[in-house]
Amino acid sequence: MVLAGGRSSRMGSPKSALEWYGSTLLRRTVSIVARAIAGPVVVVRAPGQELPDLPPDTEIRQDPYEGRGPLQGIAVGLAALAERADVAFICSTDLPFLHPAFIHAVLGAVGPDVDVALPVARGYPQPLAAAYRTSLAPLVESLLAADRLRPAFLFEKCRVVRLDDAALRTDPQVAALDPDLDSVVNVNEPGEYEVARARPEPAVTVECFGSAAGRRGSGPHAVRAATLARAAAAISLSLDRHVLAALNGEQITRDDHLPLTAGDTVAFISSDAGG
Amino acid sequence: MPGGYFGRALLVDVTGGRASSLALPEPVLRGYLGGAGLGTWLLHRLAPARVDPLAPEAPLAFVFSPLVGTPLTTSAKFAVVAKSPLTGMLNDALASSHFAISGKLTGHDAIVVRGRCARPSVLLVDGAGARLVDAADVWGLPAADAERELVARLGRGWRVAAIGPAGERGVRYATLSHDGRHAGRGGLGAVLGAKNVKAVAVHAATKVAPADPAAVLAAARDLRARSFGPATAKYRELGTLANLLTFNAINTLPTRNFTAATFAEAPRLAAEDLAEMRRVARNSCASCTIGCEHVYRAGGGKSARVEYENVFALGPLCGVSDPDAVLTASARCDELGIDTISAGGTVAWAMECAERGLLDAPWLRFGDGAALLRALDEIGRRDGLGALLAEGSRRAAAVVGRGSAGFALQVKGLELPGYEPRTLQAMALGLAVNARGADHNRSGAYEADLSGDLDRFAGGEAHVRATVETEDRAAVMDSLILCKFLRGVFTDPFAEWAGLLRTVTGWDVDATELQATARRIVLAKRMFNLREGWTPADDWLPARLLEEPLTLRSGRVASLSPATLRAMVDGYWAARGLDRDGRPTSECAVDLLLTEAVAT
Ligand code: SF4
Repeated sequence: MVLAGGRSSRMGSPKSALEWYGSTLLRRTVSIVARAIAGPVVVVRAPGQELPDLPPDTEIRQDPYEGRGPLQGIAVGLAALAERADVAFICSTDLPFLHPAFIHAVLGAVGPDVDVALPVARGYPQPLAAAYRTSLAPLVESLLAADRLRPAFLFEKCRVVRLDDAALRTDPQVAALDPDLDSVVNVNEPGEYEVARARPEPAVTVECFGSAAGRRGSGPHAVRAATLARAAAAISLSLDRHVLAALNGEQITRDDHLPLTAGDTVAFISSDAGG
Repeated sequence: MPGGYFGRALLVDVTGGRASSLALPEPVLRGYLGGAGLGTWLLHRLAPARVDPLAPEAPLAFVFSPLVGTPLTTSAKFAVVAKSPLTGMLNDALASSHFAISGKLTGHDAIVVRGRCARPSVLLVDGAGARLVDAADVWGLPAADAERELVARLGRGWRVAAIGPAGERGVRYATLSHDGRHAGRGGLGAVLGAKNVKAVAVHAATKVAPADPAAVLAAARDLRARSFGPATAKYRELGTLANLLTFNAINTLPTRNFTAATFAEAPRLAAEDLAEMRRVARNSCASCTIGCEHVYRAGGGKSARVEYENVFALGPLCGVSDPDAVLTASARCDELGIDTISAGGTVAWAMECAERGLLDAPWLRFGDGAALLRALDEIGRRDGLGALLAEGSRRAAAVVGRGSAGFALQVKGLELPGYEPRTLQAMALGLAVNARGADHNRSGAYEADLSGDLDRFAGGEAHVRATVETEDRAAVMDSLILCKFLRGVFTDPFAEWAGLLRTVTGWDVDATELQATARRIVLAKRMFNLREGWTPADDWLPARLLEEPLTLRSGRVASLSPATLRAMVDGYWAARGLDRDGRPTSECAVDLLLTEAVAT
């Protein structure tokens, strides 16, 4: 679940629409979450908030109130998911380096006796990059009714496992692909956004098969690319209707905006594979 | 008579050498087109119910089509249709090249063979009719050698389709071939062999004109130009073997009898490398501007046709990565005249049985190329272990028992092609429900899985729709007949195919009619199978695919649950107008034209 509300007051413009390598920050975050989980992705927006283009399966829910903080958005999202999932990963829009391995690790920490897996990463608790049991929905509602709007009030009343940097890095995928826990780096003001945008794109591996290989050969090619379109451009491949891509050997896609993260392998294949 | 047709089939009883003509009413031609469609209608009319596929009364039909003989690219194809000795159900297999043209120009839309010769014979058909000649001197030869010998003997203009030694010995997945192209699946070679017929030779005797020759020529020019574009590049450049590395990269390359979907040694067998080192020729069928056939140097001075399916089945499926062994095995299958997919599938099953101690064959192990070649030879001779394996994996598993049916990777008795159903779940459905059994040419549902438009790991309604659509398209392409490798050039397929059919036949056929024709053909195949004993359990996949999760390269797991497959099969039956047992309902109002009057 991605909370897209928030005031973006320090940024000066809506964070959800911030440009990110030809796409937007919200789209990136939604796609990363979708990659990491098996169930639906819900975006909770503020009343009347306009959202940028999102992947087709994204579910959008509206927060009935403006400006009541993250717990309000969490309540809307948990209610939307309660029937369909036991646990939800909940995050904010503005995590440009969120990695699927981090999401897996946090979700994996919600054992039978745990209601919330709360990263305490890079020195701070990260309630908006955490995993929550959907059965907490009534408790969250009761806190809201009592005007107790901060996530900390929730953590007082349920079973929380806190994951510090070392605990997070015990996950081998996190240790290998997100060793500095950049997943929790958020951008609140234009300067932070500029710094984040100036970082090198993720290191990914590109392979080409069939007609897509052509003269460039099948690879593997080591490139830096934040999206599928950037990976294609890095090897001078034109992403026309004759080319498809498989991310890490799994889903096949034509989505130019598909976000890539460190360690990904993209296989470009010709669209007439098979037969 | 509409353009492109003669309106009659030649019926030959090889027991007494008599031939007669069967009139084909125009509504039947229009309703079934030709090829696989018309062949299905002929089987309904001519095959006695529940006939043993290897009995003399069982018909084997060579069926041509309205487009054959036109300059339309890839149209020189024919269907061979019979009840399969492997599946006991309807089987149609396509082959191509000059036999299609000369066979049709004998003056018939189909040549049907029934009966059994007293001694090995060759059936000749030309303008003078049908006659039998002795085949003692070509009996036992590989199909290609017999073909060469017969053409040399009969003289210019004769075209020959022949069987190899495996067809003579009743291997249930023996092929029938012409000019190196095999009507490969389902054991049609065994059907002809059971009739003591080594080969059928045809000689053109007449002509047939299309309704609008100028329009056909214009359409042919247009199609030819499009056939040079990117939509067919894969077939021209590397052939279908280009799939091998792609499928390996996307977890869809069945390996070691479907226990894995990636093969670490796949690059050794990759088209990209083999083409560089070993390609000796690129060929094409008659009337084809694509030319997908890539011939490679095999061991022992031999060459082998290389396609994805034969490399997959004799390579990764058996765990064999030595290119010499795989190419030699492919050439050996061609010499014996056996279907590479069923051969590889059956040997892979036997390798697993041997490793589990269920078969007493300690020499047979995954990855052993020499063992693979020995198994193929024994199959071709039907001796040693070959007597069992010549029956195909389903029958062999019934003999061996002890749970081995669960890892006999077949549907309706036909071994699976190189598409992993757990990671291609539209294809999983296509393989389960198709009338011919597990086959990638009658169900191209993998196209939807590989399109990126649906979740290929989670079967559902979109997968059902895709299965119906691709099956319908295949039914029309296999009946017109056009090569599937041309399919990518059509942007509005049914409308474009209707246009081609209009110019050839003169009928006012449109896309809607052609879609109804597709449904009729698909239903007619199912009805034939029902007549022959199909039960709902036949539209299903083997236990391994439903009970054993597949570990992907990423470490994630893909699985296909029985409940998911059940829901898709039920959805498919409903979409086809069938009831919850897969049988036609009263709403299934497709006229199969089975009661059309015919004159002989
Ligand atoms: S594309 Fe290949 S199989 Fe098809 S007609 Fe041409 S040569 Fe024959």
